[in-house]
Amino acid sequence: MIDSTNEEMAVVLAEMRYKAISDLLASVLSKKGGRWTYTDMFDHVFLHKSLGIPIFLALLWAVFQFTFSLSEPFMAMIEIAFGWLGGLAEIGISNPHIASFVSGGIVDGLGSVLVFVPPIFMLFFALSILEDSGYLARAAFVMDRLMYKLGLHGRSFIPMMMGFGCNIPAIMATRSIDNEKDRMITILVNPLISCGARLPVYVLIAGAVFGAKYAGTVIFSMYILGIALAIIMALIFRRTLFKGDPSPFVLELPAYLVPTAKTVIYHMWERGKLFLARAGTIIFGTVIIVWFLSTHPWDATAGGVIIENSYIASLGRFLEPIFSPFGWDWMTAVALLFGFLAKEVVVGTYGILLGVGEETLGESLVGLGLFTPLTGYAFMAFVLIYVPCVATIGIIAKEMHSYKWAAFVMAYLVVLAFLVSGSIIGAGRLLGLS
Amino acid sequence: MITAAIIGNPNVGKTELFNRLTGMKQHVGNWPGVTVEKKIGSYSYKGEDIEVVDLPGTYSLTTLAADELISRDYIVEEKPDVVVDIVDATSLERNLYLTLLLLELEANLVMALNRWDLATRRGILIETEKLSELLGVPIVPTIAPTGEGIESLKELISMAAKAKNEKRKIVVGYGEKVELSIAKVKDAFCKDATLSNKYPPRWLAIKALEEDEQVLKLIEKSSHRAEIMAAVR
Repeated sequence: MIDSTNEEMAVVLAEMRYKAISDLLASVLSKKGGRWTYTDMFDHVFLHKSLGIPIFLALLWAVFQFTFSLSEPFMAMIEIAFGWLGGLAEIGISNPHIASFVSGGIVDGLGSVLVFVPPIFMLFFALSILEDSGYLARAAFVMDRLMYKLGLHGRSFIPMMMGFGCNIPAIMATRSIDNEKDRMITILVNPLISCGARLPVYVLIAGAVFGAKYAGTVIFSMYILGIALAIIMALIFRRTLFKGDPSPFVLELPAYLVPTAKTVIYHMWERGKLFLARAGTIIFGTVIIVWFLSTHPWDATAGGVIIENSYIASLGRFLEPIFSPFGWDWMTAVALLFGFLAKEVVVGTYGILLGVGEETLGESLVGLGLFTPLTGYAFMAFVLIYVPCVATIGIIAKEMHSYKWAAFVMAYLVVLAFLVSGSIIGAGRLLGLS
Repeated sequence: MITAAIIGNPNVGKTELFNRLTGMKQHVGNWPGVTVEKKIGSYSYKGEDIEVVDLPGTYSLTTLAADELISRDYIVEEKPDVVVDIVDATSLERNLYLTLLLLELEANLVMALNRWDLATRRGILIETEKLSELLGVPIVPTIAPTGEGIESLKELISMAAKAKNEKRKIVVGYGEKVELSIAKVKDAFCKDATLSNKYPPRWLAIKALEEDEQVLKLIEKSSHRAEIMAAVR
């Protein structure tokens, strides 16, 4: 079918069109002045060959520092408010089942997740500023330049950046990648990009075991770990499953704009409301299951007081051997199990199991010796990697037109999670940490 | 009801204009590839309902990327009454390529020269009346963030819908030699009434010469397959 003269024909036709355009413009377009625009000046810095990536990392670090520091007082206030509500429910509601449901299920479970509304909105606020100003597209460009050198597709990084908000729109955004192999690789590694749902887990654990001073940096390191693993896995997939050269990439950079308060707040709200919607649906639903399993059998647990006798404890002890080499106990095992439905539930599960009272959830975690800095860090990495949430699995199956690929994603992520967390623990113990 | 499709290069502000026209709040972002699925909204103008379809951005109409294919298929197969070509006034040269392809497709075009304020600030002067005359397309400058030009755009869309069946002029002549080939292939296509009624024959001819995959598939199914292929070679 392919005929060389016709192949040339396409080029000839395109050339004629461009000629027609320049003839047109010659008669209708004039330009005065050729000053450097702000876009030229900024791009000179942000797209710099060697400074581009360090600048991106520095900005990202600043984003997490900002997110953690600014949201901390607000989180404390919400935590106190829920603690007070829980106490009120215990005293005020006479039916013990209902009182336990309200204080143990709704307040401790859902409340401990809602405490993370401030950092989530702060993060989305900062990301919206980076996006609206046009910087995020530059960040994608400098990372893409690196990816391309490594033999990966250029346009992969915009979908990855979108993954900071939620992996679902990010995976849909891979439709703009025209090469099918490149697109498949980008979808497969996208769950490694930390989404907003992982943030509550990071903020809780990092704040508890590393303290307010280092929490922002530790959270930042989780995001970097995710990006690094995504690049490594993409390289492995490129060498094994999807052999071939990446198609060259052209990325048109948008103009820099001063973000307006209206659009930044609107973008923050648009992303943030998804979290609130999840809190009212899947997170709430899962939290009810966890509450039920932790307070029943009702008599044996004395109405949820002796949690060691509950169904959830039996379930946890059954799973515990898998995680005990990492130094994690049965509570962590069930938190991870229910976290599969929505990662925020990891936090909600601890909320129910430990209760939110005088101490904050973070203080209880450390006080009970559940986590040391080493095991806590390994746990954060595990939550980052192990299986994406159910909704993400669904969208992967849809966009890749196959449940087999969705199953593959789950399988490789579980294996990777054990490998990475195991390595962190192993390396830490070699250095004498516990 | 009038249907109007919004098309243009990536990141020229299509969705922002769509939101302005329809009062909807679709996600917009300052980078290419935000819209990957077509979005439908509507508004009414002088008692008439207009359905607006926001299409993913595309540089050309010959592409394999999933999002761009959505745009092309919509324009080619659904044939909206009016196609609103959103052009970034700050980079006319690149944006007009798609405009020419749309004209080849004999789409009923209206052009919005968006980012007019930025162009002016950068000292880019465009004689819109002359450009409109040369292309045979009504043009309105717009500024999506402030909504300037939206009312005029609505008026142009309604006017264009009424003038739908007027014959448009050919903007790009491909030179004697190429035009001869185009004419030959076009004549072959005209023998297949189903095809030439559904798609503009000149466009079919150009695409066949470019070996456009989808047009080649159309030829495969044609009753006059052999004749057309003979003319293409």
